[in-house]
Amino acid sequence: MTLRLSLSWRDARAPVLQRKHGGGQSKAGPGAVVGRSRVSGKARRPAQEAGLKRANFGDGPGLPTLLLLPQLLILLFFFFIPALRALTQSVLLSDPFGTTVQFVWFDNFKTLFASSEYRQSIAVTFWFTVAQNVLTLGSALVLAFATDRIVRGRSVYRTIILLPYAIAPAIAGILWAFLFNPAVGPLAQMLHRLGIAWDPNLNPNDALILVTLAASWKHICYDYIFLVVGLLAVPVSLMEAAAVDGAGPIRRFVSIALPMLGPTIFFLTVMNFIYGFFETFAIIDAVTKGGPAGATNILVYKVFVDGFVNLDLGSSAAQSVLLMSFALICTLLQFRYFDRKVNYGV
Amino acid sequence: MGRKVAFIAAMFGALALAGPAQARVEVQWWHAMSGVLADRLNELVEKFNTSQDKYTVVAVAKGNYDEVTNGVIAAYRAKRPPEMVQIAERGYMTMLLSGAVVPVQDLIEQKGYKVDFSDFIKPVASFWSYKGRMSAMPFNSSTPIFWYNKDHFQKAGFDKPADTWQELESQLYTIKSKGISECGTVLPGDFYWSLLENYSAINNQPYGTLANGFDGLGTEFVYNKTKVVSQVARLKKWLDDGVMQIAGQGFSPEQLFTSGRCSTFVNSTASHGNIERNATINWSATFLPHESDINPPLNSTIGGGAIWVLKGHTPERYEAVAAFLNFVAQPETQVWWHGATGYVPATNRAYALARERGYYKDHPTREIAVLQLSRGTPNENSRGFRFGNFVQTMLAQRQEVEAVLAGQKQPQQAMDDAVKRGNEILRQFEKLNAGKTPETERP
Repeated sequence: MTLRLSLSWRDARAPVLQRKHGGGQSKAGPGAVVGRSRVSGKARRPAQEAGLKRANFGDGPGLPTLLLLPQLLILLFFFFIPALRALTQSVLLSDPFGTTVQFVWFDNFKTLFASSEYRQSIAVTFWFTVAQNVLTLGSALVLAFATDRIVRGRSVYRTIILLPYAIAPAIAGILWAFLFNPAVGPLAQMLHRLGIAWDPNLNPNDALILVTLAASWKHICYDYIFLVVGLLAVPVSLMEAAAVDGAGPIRRFVSIALPMLGPTIFFLTVMNFIYGFFETFAIIDAVTKGGPAGATNILVYKVFVDGFVNLDLGSSAAQSVLLMSFALICTLLQFRYFDRKVNYGV
Repeated sequence: MGRKVAFIAAMFGALALAGPAQARVEVQWWHAMSGVLADRLNELVEKFNTSQDKYTVVAVAKGNYDEVTNGVIAAYRAKRPPEMVQIAERGYMTMLLSGAVVPVQDLIEQKGYKVDFSDFIKPVASFWSYKGRMSAMPFNSSTPIFWYNKDHFQKAGFDKPADTWQELESQLYTIKSKGISECGTVLPGDFYWSLLENYSAINNQPYGTLANGFDGLGTEFVYNKTKVVSQVARLKKWLDDGVMQIAGQGFSPEQLFTSGRCSTFVNSTASHGNIERNATINWSATFLPHESDINPPLNSTIGGGAIWVLKGHTPERYEAVAAFLNFVAQPETQVWWHGATGYVPATNRAYALARERGYYKDHPTREIAVLQLSRGTPNENSRGFRFGNFVQTMLAQRQEVEAVLAGQKQPQQAMDDAVKRGNEILRQFEKLNAGKTPETERP
């Protein structure tokens, strides 16, 4: 299991590096073909590698295009066409059966920004994704660090941590809702015994905490896999040198392993945000249905309720367009500000 | 030789028998029932299919009401709608003005069936008809009633729950203070329906202007100026005093009642089937309470679903649909469905038939809903509700009530906000549907 994982990690990285090579080569343009024989002596190896790959695809753009076609078709039917339809729907007011359609310019967007409910939903989504991100990454780091220290039964330990990933989000949600149900949940009763008036059905904060916990729990294993494999890539020599210098395991982890995990953590942060934005729908639906009082009504859940329950297609489309833009802005900002601080030179 | 002839004759006979069977017209009915109710619905369809040899109705479960609605919308847009669909009461205006439906009364009369539409129980008929003509066939009609744990009330020295909210409150507080039960009542999952909408009807409180929307799309909510505000305050007080509990997600209010944890429970009469099967307690039911200064209380209103007929099918298929709807409207069918599920019989004749047969001697609680629905003469406040986007306004209202229960808002503030949000939603519906008249063209 572990071997396969680490292999796939290395495999996954290898093409990235090669692609960079390839990109540079193709930029060299038509001259490269002539040039290849000329510089054959020094640059033989990379040229041969690239040449090999090119030979496999034959001449002309036919085969590559053919091979790309399925993926492009999938993108066309499941992304571009729906996205276009969402865009058009977002400037329309229409009845659900589509018999009456009015063009309303940006009324749907204006209504959204004027609505306190939508602003609340943005705030909730912000806190939810940030908290979920911190919690997920934090726990995954601790677990990954711990895995590194375990000698016996490491694979068992790892398998157990990976289990939640195999559980459907809706089931996970029901599980957490039940465990923390104030009337019958064992964990809720434990909290009550500690004197905490826990009631996620009534108290908005409790509800937000509960869905954050559930969403994080479900996603920790994802982060964990990447971090464990990332830790394997940290050179043993560095760690040993630090150990010789008298650094304890925690010090070594914080000062050496953690900075070297930079690219992984950065990637995971982006992925966690996307997970929080889009994939937590089922958990919200199972645990709180967006309540109480809209406390867990995150943007993606609101898109669903307005579109499929309220049948307000225009508003729902406008919201999905906005949600998409938020996710895009968020990802771009992360690349803009954090990408530079990440040390890729492992 | 004789044998051969007989054989050939038999073959022809078989063909003749198979002939009409092959020619059966098949129509689809998408529905939202699940569990025991879905089994009963399938039995009903089976009864129809075996009762004649010309038509076959195929019942297709499409999930809950929301999912059925979305399914039929998608199918209609793709020009492949089913012939019939079961839609919840809140979707009435959406369906009525969709331009996608065939009015049921027109269809049935055009196909030559004699259904006495004046015989439907008044709140049922008024809810599903437009200008006196039935738009959809009432199918599963329910109304909320008041369920209680007999033992808890007896232990506290009461015969049964009181008729008024005021007395009921003191009963629940007594039950709690005597330590008989930790939980006097549980907040229903659909409290907006039973404790706000039906509460308004029973206590003669207007919910919206223009006769609760019956007189036009320009209707506006007004429940922030009625007793609904004090009703919300009452719920908040009960919650704070520990007399009322919330079941929450992943757990149903019904379970808190049937397990004996909560002494009382407001829920649809349609839960008879479940409660009879699941309750480990000595239960009974009675009328919903009313305010002490409102006497006599008015009728409650209905919930549940009706069968809508969609446009775009051939006349033969509509023959089948009309035959099935006629079958559904028959008193025999109604009485059977009433007994099998707990939904109310939709016509007076069916109710009389059930009474005649002594059904209510063995099942007294099943009569409550009918009596509560048909008491007095429905007025503007109790006839029902005609609000567009009624699901959306309801969700906004529910959110505001939850804000009260969570202690974030005062009841008056929350109801003001709910009305304001609701009215914006109503205006959007009005804008979209201005000038539209419901479908009257015949199939």
